[in-house]
Parts: sequence; C-alpha cells; structure tokens
Amino acid sequence: MSVKETVVVICPGRGTYNAAELGYLHTHHAAKVEFLNLVDTIRMTRGQVKVTELDAADKFRMGTHTTGENASLLIFACAVADYLDVQERYDVVAITGNSMGWYLALACAGALSMKDAAFLVNEMGTLMHEEGAGGQIVYPVVDDNWQPDEDRAELVRTVLAEAEAAQGLTVAVSIRLGGMVVFAADEAGLKFLKSRLPETDRYPMQLKNHAAFHSSLLDYIVPQAQSRLPQEMFHKPAVPLVDGCGNIWSPYATDTEKLYDYTLGTQINTTYDFSKAVEVAVKEFAPDRLVLTGPGTTMGAPVAQEMIRHRWRGIDSKVSFKALQEKSPYIISMGMPTQREIALRTPHT
Amino acid sequence: MFDRAEAIDKAFRERVTSDNLPDITNAVSHTESGLSTSDLVDLFETQVMSRQLDLIARRSKGRTFYSIGSSGHEGTAAIAKASRNTDMAFLHYRDAAFLIQRSRQHGGAAVLYEMMLSFAASSDDPVSGGRHKVLGGKDVFVPPQTSTIASHLPKAVGAAHSVGLARKLNRQDAVLPHDAVILCSFGDASANHSTAQGAINSAAWAAFQNAPMPIVFICEDNDIGISVRTPHGWIRASYENRPGLKYMSCNGLNVSETYGTARKAVTYARSLRKPVFLHLKTVRLMGHAGADIEASYTDISHIETIEAQDPLLHTAAELIRSGCLDAEAVLQIYDTTAQRVARVAGEAFARPKLESAREVMSSIVPTSGIAPEHKPADQLQRAAMWGKELAAHAKAQPMARHINNALADIMLDYPQATVFGEDVGRKGGVYSVTTGLQKKFGPARVMDTLLDEQTILGLAIGMAHNGFLPIPEIQFLAYVHNAEDQIRGEAATLPFFSNGQYTNPMVIRIAGLGYQKGFGGHFHNDNSLTVFRDIPGVIVACPSNGSDAARMLRESVRLAHQEQRVVVFVEPIALYMTADLHEEGDKAWLAPYAPPEADEALPFGEPAVYGRGTDLCILSYGNGYYLSRKAARQLADENGLKVRVVDLRWVQPLNESAILKQVRACKHILVVDECRKTGSVSEQIMTLLSEKKVARPIARVTAEDSFIPLGTAATVTLPDVQSIAKAAMTLCKGAGK
Repeated sequence: MSVKETVVVICPGRGTYNAAELGYLHTHHAAKVEFLNLVDTIRMTRGQVKVTELDAADKFRMGTHTTGENASLLIFACAVADYLDVQERYDVVAITGNSMGWYLALACAGALSMKDAAFLVNEMGTLMHEEGAGGQIVYPVVDDNWQPDEDRAELVRTVLAEAEAAQGLTVAVSIRLGGMVVFAADEAGLKFLKSRLPETDRYPMQLKNHAAFHSSLLDYIVPQAQSRLPQEMFHKPAVPLVDGCGNIWSPYATDTEKLYDYTLGTQINTTYDFSKAVEVAVKEFAPDRLVLTGPGTTMGAPVAQEMIRHRWRGIDSKVSFKALQEKSPYIISMGMPTQREIALRTPHT
Repeated sequence: MFDRAEAIDKAFRERVTSDNLPDITNAVSHTESGLSTSDLVDLFETQVMSRQLDLIARRSKGRTFYSIGSSGHEGTAAIAKASRNTDMAFLHYRDAAFLIQRSRQHGGAAVLYEMMLSFAASSDDPVSGGRHKVLGGKDVFVPPQTSTIASHLPKAVGAAHSVGLARKLNRQDAVLPHDAVILCSFGDASANHSTAQGAINSAAWAAFQNAPMPIVFICEDNDIGISVRTPHGWIRASYENRPGLKYMSCNGLNVSETYGTARKAVTYARSLRKPVFLHLKTVRLMGHAGADIEASYTDISHIETIEAQDPLLHTAAELIRSGCLDAEAVLQIYDTTAQRVARVAGEAFARPKLESAREVMSSIVPTSGIAPEHKPADQLQRAAMWGKELAAHAKAQPMARHINNALADIMLDYPQATVFGEDVGRKGGVYSVTTGLQKKFGPARVMDTLLDEQTILGLAIGMAHNGFLPIPEIQFLAYVHNAEDQIRGEAATLPFFSNGQYTNPMVIRIAGLGYQKGFGGHFHNDNSLTVFRDIPGVIVACPSNGSDAARMLRESVRLAHQEQRVVVFVEPIALYMTADLHEEGDKAWLAPYAPPEADEALPFGEPAVYGRGTDLCILSYGNGYYLSRKAARQLADENGLKVRVVDLRWVQPLNESAILKQVRACKHILVVDECRKTGSVSEQIMTLLSEKKVARPIARVTAEDSFIPLGTAATVTLPDVQSIAKAAMTLCKGAGK
C-alpha cells in the first residue's frame, strides 16, 4: 500500500497578492467554478467587486488590490483554492497560517464552512478597512544569511522598551515572523519606529493598507467582530490546526466556543507568533514537507528562517536551505511556478 | 505472545472495533465530574499520546534509553487537568500523561517532540539537555527529577511549607503563588520508602499543629514494585486514618472519577492548606521497564487480566457509551497519534547527542550571576536589630559567637534566608550557635523541625524551589548519613538534570568532627567528610577559627545566593568555644566580631597561610590546623624548624593551584588530617602532589580508620600535637637546628 507524503499546510496573510499575482485565480483555478461562485456571491451580497473581477483586472492597482476590503477575500480565494488541490495529493497532518492566514487555515481545516469562512474573511477585511487604525512596520532580526542577529534583536528589545516608557505613542509586537519582527503602532508609534530603527536595505518597511493588527490598539475591534460573526459558524476542525500562540486545535477535542474566543478575541489583539506556530507544527507533526499555499512567495523566507533557527533537517543557513530546496524542496511554495508543479504532481507517495 | 507492547496495542484496536469494552455501567461519568465532552476527548488524546510514546520507546531499542513507561497510569492526565499549571508538581516517573496534559494546557508546547528528545537522550532535549529521561519543564512548574525511589517527597513537603511561609512573610519574589498547592506522585512500592514515610509524616506533623501544608500526595497504586506485590489493602490501611492527613481514593482507570476526586483533593489542600493522600488505583502495563520480562515472575493469565483493565479502554468506553465519539473516531485518534509519534520520533532520533565530558558537565555548576542583586541592610537596620548587643561585638569571642553573629547579620541582609533544624529555635541549638535568632527573626524564619534529617534537607530543597535561601542545620555530622541522598541524589543533581534551569541553593550547617573535651562517642564526634567530597558541584567549607567562620559563612551564603550553589558548612564542635592556642589564657583563638561591611572578604577557595617558613609546609584544616599551629610553635622552639601552616578552609573542591604554590615554596610537606586515613581529604592531597610531581619528602598524619570511642579514649585515634610534631621531625630529619 502506498502512503501519501505528509505535509503541514501554511496559509499566507495579507499583503501576499501583488502585481505578480494578478490573474492567479484565472490561471490556476478557473475550473473551480462552484468555489469561485461561492466567494463572489459573498461579495455581490455586500455590493462589492467580485474577486474574480479583481483577479481579472487589466492591471494591478495598489489602491484597489491591497485594501483590506478587497485583498482579504482575494487572498482567501487563491489560498483555499490551492489547498483544495493540495489536499487531494498529500496527507495533510496539520494546518497553520500567518495572521489573516489563520482564518484561511480555519477554512481549509473545515472549522468553518467555505461559505462561512468566506463571509468571515470578507467581514473582517471590510471591518479592518473601515475601522482599522494604526499600521505595521517590518524589521529584520536576522542577518543577510538568515542567521539570528543578536544585535538587531537587542535593538528591537530596546526600541520596544523605549516605546513602552514614552508618552503619547503605542508600539507592540504584532507578529513574530521568522527572521522579521512586525510591529504594530499608532501614528505616533510609526513615526517613532521610523526614527529609531536604523535603515537597512528596504527596512524599516511600513506595510501599505495594514492596520495595527494583533495589538491592543485593536481592542475595540473585538466586540464589533463578535457582534457581526456568530459562534455557531465554528465547528471542530477535520485536520489539526496550529494557532498564533502555537496551540494545537485537535479534530475531536476542540471546544468551538474557545476556538471562537481565540479567533475573534485573543488573535485580534495580542501578538501573533507565527514563528511559534511553525515551530510547533514542524516539531509536533513532523511532516515530510511544508506546503505554503499561494498567492505570493513572501512566506518562504520567514518559514525557512524558522527552520534555520531550529537547525531543522540540517538547514542551518540560507545556503544550506537553498541547496536542500534544489535537491528536494522541504518547503514547497505554491506561489513559485517550479515548486507549484512539484506540489501538483499526483499523488505524492 | 511475549511482546506485551504489541499485545496491548492490538487488543486496544480489536476491543474498540468489536465493541468489547470494559463495563462502565456504575462508573462515574464525565458529566458527573464536571468535565465537558471536549475535556473528555482532550484527556483521551493525552492518554493516547502518552501510550504511543511508550509503544515507540519499546519499538526503538538502541535509539531510546531508559524505557520505564507510563502505560496503565495515563489517568494522571486528569490530575493535571484538575490542578493549576502553577501548582508545582514533583512527578513519579510513570506520569508522562500528567506532563503532556499540563504542557498542552500551558500551550505553545512541542511536548511530543521534546519528550522524544529525552527518550533519545538528545542534547536538544530542553529539559535535561540529553542527560536523562526526566519529566519536567520550567514553564509548567515541574522540576525535573529522576524520582527513582521516593526521594522527591521530602522536597515536595519543603515546597509546600514554603508556600505557607511565603504567604506569611508576604514574599513578593516567591516563585509560586501564595495559594499554590504542591503535587507529588509516587508508586505504591515507594510509599514504603523511608523518604516517603518521613515526608508524609512530616506533612501530617505540621498539619496536626495547624501549620500550612498545601500538598497532595498522589500514590499511584498498581499493586506491584518491580516484581514484589504490595499486600492487598496495604496502602489504604496504612494511610486511611493518619492524623493530620486527609485520605481520598479513586479509580485511576476512570479519568472522569480521577478528575472529580483530584479536584476535591486539590481544592481541599488549597482552601484548608492541609495535606491530602490521594490513593489512585492504577495498573502497570508492559512490566516495570523495557528490560523487565514480567512473565518471568507473573502468570500470563494474570498479565492478561491486568491488560484487560487498560485505562485507555475505559476512557474509550466512556467516550463511546456516552455518545461523545464513535468507535471510528476513537480509533482515528489512536492511529493518527501513532503515526504522528512515529514521525516525531524519526526527527528526534536524528538530533545531536552529548559528545564530550565538557558538554555533559556543563550544567553541574549553575551559571553564575543568575541571582538578583543582593541589597544589604543599612546601618540603621543593623543597629535596630542588634540593639545593646552591638557593643559586645568588639570583644574577643569564640567561633560559636562569630557564627551566631554572622547568621543574624545574614538573616538581616537576606530576608529570604531561613534557619531551621532540630532545636535551633527556642533552645538556640545544642551548642548555642543559633541562640537569639528566633527572637530576632521570629519562628517562621527560625524554625524547630521534627527529628528527621531527610525532612530537614528536603525542606531546604523545596524552599529553594520557591525563592528562599535555606540555611538548614544538621545537628551532628553523624546524622547526615541517614539523609545523604537528599544532597547527593537530589540537591546536587538538580542543575545537572535540568540543564541548569533549576537550582536549589542552600548552606547546610553541620556541627561535627572530633576532639570534644569530656565527651566522646562516634555519633557526636564523627570525623569523616568523605560523604560530601565526591559529589559533583557541592562545596565543602570547614573553618578553624571564629573570624574565618563568620567570613566563610558570608561567602557561603553569597555562593548560594549569587551562584546558586549547594554549600556544606562543617563547624568543628571542639573549636566552638576554644579560646586559647599555646598557653592557657592567651586567648589567641578569639577575635572581635567585625560587621559585614567592615570585614575583609574571604573569597571561596582562598586558604590561610600562617608563617613563611620554608623547611616545612603543613597542610591542614579545622581541628588539624589548630593542632598544627601548636605543633609549629613547638617545632620552631625546640627544633628550629621554619614552618608554614596552611589552613585549606575550603576542602571541596580543593584550591589546587594555591596548595601547589605553598608546597613548592617548602622543602618538606606534611598533611595533617583529623579525618580517617581512608577516604579523607589527605588522600586527595597526596594524589594531587603525586600527579603534579611535587618532588619533596611528603608525609601525612591522619586519624585511624576507627570510630570515636567514649570518654578519655575519645581522642586516642586522632592526630595530636605530639604525633604531628613527631611526624614532622621524622620527615625533616636534618633540617632546622
């Protein structure tokens, strides 16, 4: 009896659908008519532009494609459609995601029906678009070879401590993203970060159209989200989930009330530890490979950086990671055409 | 079938598939115990994880080590669920399910992977760094230990005592919440061990007089200890009606019942701050350990009867009968967990191992500088504490007073310091060394214990776990031997087995050694320090005079506080009140007591050197140093020998470079050791001098390999001034005049 390869699936967050991804749905998932209709219906019900239309636009427009209102469900459609292809070919042993990717993970794992998941993602995206405050800034804590850089880590700790002591501004860790720290801050906090973090390459980088996700600056979002989205939407997942605290939600033991409280509570206004999620997923489920769904390829680096930090499978540097990837990719990024092709060879045994 | 692991694995699948499950008609249900459906499934998942870890350990010989499993004891998961994660737990080695459940509750844990790392003795193991398969975790308040017997019970009692003490003293820096409960588990066979008997007795003794003792002793009764059966009903009969101890029992095969009873036990201990004995009925599956062939001492029919009571089948029965899950789902959890554990094991087995002695030994001595900065008391506080007594410090006084004064100053400086032992409180110690301390600092910080050295040392270890700085006293050196494992197997090993994450700093004061005038007898004059000298990481100090004693005690406390060390401070009883050195009334062995801030520091390892003579170097300590000083005068006066006398002060570890520097400056070397010829520090010094090729005539004077008799013969087996002088003259023939 042949056994399928085991994989942990990782869903991306906001900001992963960019110019290069325009047409992603059309190119890869045009055949999934029923699924795309379901997603578009959610949009039409709210009087919003259909995701298939956004995907089919003649050109990528920052002001349109990256706003929370549009990007959220567009990314949802791409990622979940990728997942539908993956689940047939692999034995998916766990699913995790980064930031908004948590909602996508819930959908992939069946903790939300596709319809409810699409609704939730669209609502949260729209809510953030309408109500979101502050922003996010990304800064690296690794060196060019993706090794932990203690000087930068110390700098980050210092800056956070200074911000904590300062009056009239708020800065927090929004996401631990492999070799990156994503800060959440209010406007004064963003200015403070830009003034205090030394420039290196393209950092500090503020993410366009992003709010101060995963921080107390969004405390007010929690009751709004919970009033718009009922607990009854949530089910026990069919596949184990690893959340942004590194906690595992098991198929049979999950308490859906707690899952709801986490998803529309803790997860919204406390740090999302994507690094921990990846670490736990890899160590506790020990898959043959990791599959990063599309759209985009930006998740590859943070995941690889986390592998380097744990010296996982002998990956101890950017160089050894790339060497392994060329030989037999441990991390399959579906946003990369060559690796997508590997992912879609059927079935993997 | 001789492979019981396979038999149990197969039986679970078959019995769930065929609905041949244990009868649970009269069993306590999860709803009756207050567990939700999700809670019950959650516990089952933990039980299965624990079981699959055991199975893979049995199937991977050569890649995993120390295969004592937890099968049959998986009900302990429910105790983890019934307690708080901050309730410190000292666990039995069969409690993997407890640790897994607590880790899952804590969240963000890679508990399967980390446990597999410990099975595989990988240096990546975050608990012990590959040194042992220990159940532990800093985040989940489970101090790692091997718990090979019941030697962890005394420290659990110590931790429980410390919870009450921290609350009474309002210690905000305590590690544990003031309403914490201590959990401590062990097997039915271990319940007979003196450490268990002593610890449980101590807890009950405290509770009997209404001292806080929030602890739940969990006796996991599987009816057998390796191959010896526990008499039927023995545990219940032994513990059901003990004064001061609440007895509760439950069927550990039933997680719901276990959860309900454990909740009651924990609530009782927390709210009344009294000890509970929770008698948990379990079974032992797959024998004692991997190498144990149970069939060699037990009928196969009995083995099969026990296996039929597999607790996982009981939980499966409840899940299925109550409609929580169907059989297919139960099997899916079982099988997917098996696959997951196999994959995790594959990764863990590939991780690095400890390779060098340096790596292995790196956690014997805790990393220095880990303690918070010490803030000494100011002059006003000191003046307030001492009052009129302060004036007496300027007078010349003996060692006992120096130690007494130093202890008071230490307790003032370190509010987390505690002094306890037999008779140290109201009486002030049998030699008045702790006189007045209880009056100054109160009975909570200066406490009379019951007569049990294992408990005294266990108290110290447990209190140190909660942020205290314990200064226990062992009344006589001979008494430490019944409790030595609390130092050797517990206190000294904690940093080692926890990869330096846990420490239990303390200064153990012990009155000992020979030469007591008008007295005698082995038990009050024991002259062997050997028991401490081979324990890795332990420091042994032995002062010879009052000024040194005060300064060495301060340094010992600094070592304990700042460097988290375990220090044994041996006080020569015969020198406690010694005043004179050469002639009656010369008072050369007395000195004024200098306050800590004005006194010269005496760093760890630094010896004292008296004289600059180069004819002869005498190496000694304690009473031997005192006698050598007398002999040196005689040798100089009568024979013109130019002598230097070195007081080692710190007898373990030896300051080798300092010793070599002194002996190399001299023509002859005499080692004077009041301890027995065999195994004494003199042997170690002789070895050092030999290995370092110190080419000088060398001799030693030691005590005979004898016990100390009573009365006038008390010192005849020991070195004296004449035997030292005679040995020196023989050694230095031709030198001097």
